[in-house]
Amino acid sequence: MTLAGVVLLALAGVAGILLTEVGREVGLFWAFGLAFGFVLQRSRFCFASAFRDLFLFGSGRIMKGILAGMAVATLGFAVLMSKMVPNPLPGVIAPEAHVVPVGIHLILGGILFGFGMVQAGGCISGSLYRIGEGYVASWVAFGGILGGLGLALHSWNWWWRFHIGRAPMIWIPSFAGYAGATILTLFLLLCAYLLILWWESTKGVILPEVPAGAKGTDFLHRLQDLWEKVFRRGWPVVTGGVTLGVLNILLYVAHMPWGITGEISRWAAGFSRLAGFPPPALLGVDQLAGCTLTLGGNRLITHTLTLDVGMVAGSLIGALLAGEFRIRIPPHPRRYAQAILGGILMGYGAGIAMGCTIGAFFSAIPSLGLNGWVFGLSLLAGAYGGVQVLKRIP
Amino acid sequence: MKLDVRGEVCPYPMMKALEAMRQLPEGELLEVLTDHPPSLETIPPLANQLGFAWKIVEKGRGQWAILIAREAGIIEEALHA
Repeated sequence: MTLAGVVLLALAGVAGILLTEVGREVGLFWAFGLAFGFVLQRSRFCFASAFRDLFLFGSGRIMKGILAGMAVATLGFAVLMSKMVPNPLPGVIAPEAHVVPVGIHLILGGILFGFGMVQAGGCISGSLYRIGEGYVASWVAFGGILGGLGLALHSWNWWWRFHIGRAPMIWIPSFAGYAGATILTLFLLLCAYLLILWWESTKGVILPEVPAGAKGTDFLHRLQDLWEKVFRRGWPVVTGGVTLGVLNILLYVAHMPWGITGEISRWAAGFSRLAGFPPPALLGVDQLAGCTLTLGGNRLITHTLTLDVGMVAGSLIGALLAGEFRIRIPPHPRRYAQAILGGILMGYGAGIAMGCTIGAFFSAIPSLGLNGWVFGLSLLAGAYGGVQVLKRIP
Repeated sequence: MKLDVRGEVCPYPMMKALEAMRQLPEGELLEVLTDHPPSLETIPPLANQLGFAWKIVEKGRGQWAILIAREAGIIEEALHA
């Protein structure tokens, strides 16, 4: 299996060179996609678990990794945004920053998404990297996500007229400056971290990383140990979070923060057209950044496409190198129902909230937008509800 | 006692393993069969915390058995049997 991983890695490299011929960014984003997928797979970076396990087991292991990643990205994003927009006057927002209107759509979207990801056993990024690992249920969940995004495309204009078009975009540097916004964000992340420490101590299960024994101290053994640490065993979750945070900064340097949903909504629009229900022209989306719904342009191969597909490929390579790839078929038919219904809720939630756990949370809080916090708290509420239901499904 | 959670994803392997550990009779071995790699990082620490010994045994491609018992000796015995 390791050999297959090496061969696939080489093929992915060749594909990268060919894609660069299509467009410089198309190739670059392919490389980013591979890296994101690889790191997600290696560190089992599951946002659904992060939110769910707080309530199910009283464990904040993965959430602490997410907080670390966002803290790193906050610093990088702040430096980058202050170079692009030296004076963050009211009404101005840094280009490509994931700042979107704050309102009911964000709260409802977050609750639906949080509930759905707990049922489906993974969020959108989670489903993508698990497809690469061979999980059949994640394909089903992904189908649900496309369906949910399709529904969101058809109801977007109603949402825009009713609410989103009038909801305020709140970018913290506009009134606190970059220093103030960065310090406030880091302080809130620290508070969240401490809250989790307290929650774990009173509630439940503290899951320390399983220590791995070194084999020997000579060079060959240490080399083998390094190989095992990087490619065979799971990474500590904080290592994963920080690596994703750094990759996110680099992606923003290259073009834009990490996001997934916008591209997948383009696929949903395509399927909707094929099914004979073409979605209408979307109101207001050209004024919005982040992972806002899109119908797509004329080009098929875009940088966002290679980013998302690259994530699946990167995860597949990681799983093969680790000897973890396996076609996994759910043992009960009800798991398929959970995957598809959870997927639909996630897709619709991500559609109206303009992003998933990545674009509307992991990239939004470092973008210094209030929307990231509102969406994050709504995810928490949705996951709490999801856990109450999940406990009753054997 | 055998617990086959192959095909299940988080949180089911951990939920079922937790239930099984609580019901595990004194002196018996619990064998959790899984193909979900994150379980290898969640079930052993859980076992630790509940005062169980554990060992991971690879069972071919992408499958593992997590052996869990109240005393490490029971696991060693099973491994050598």
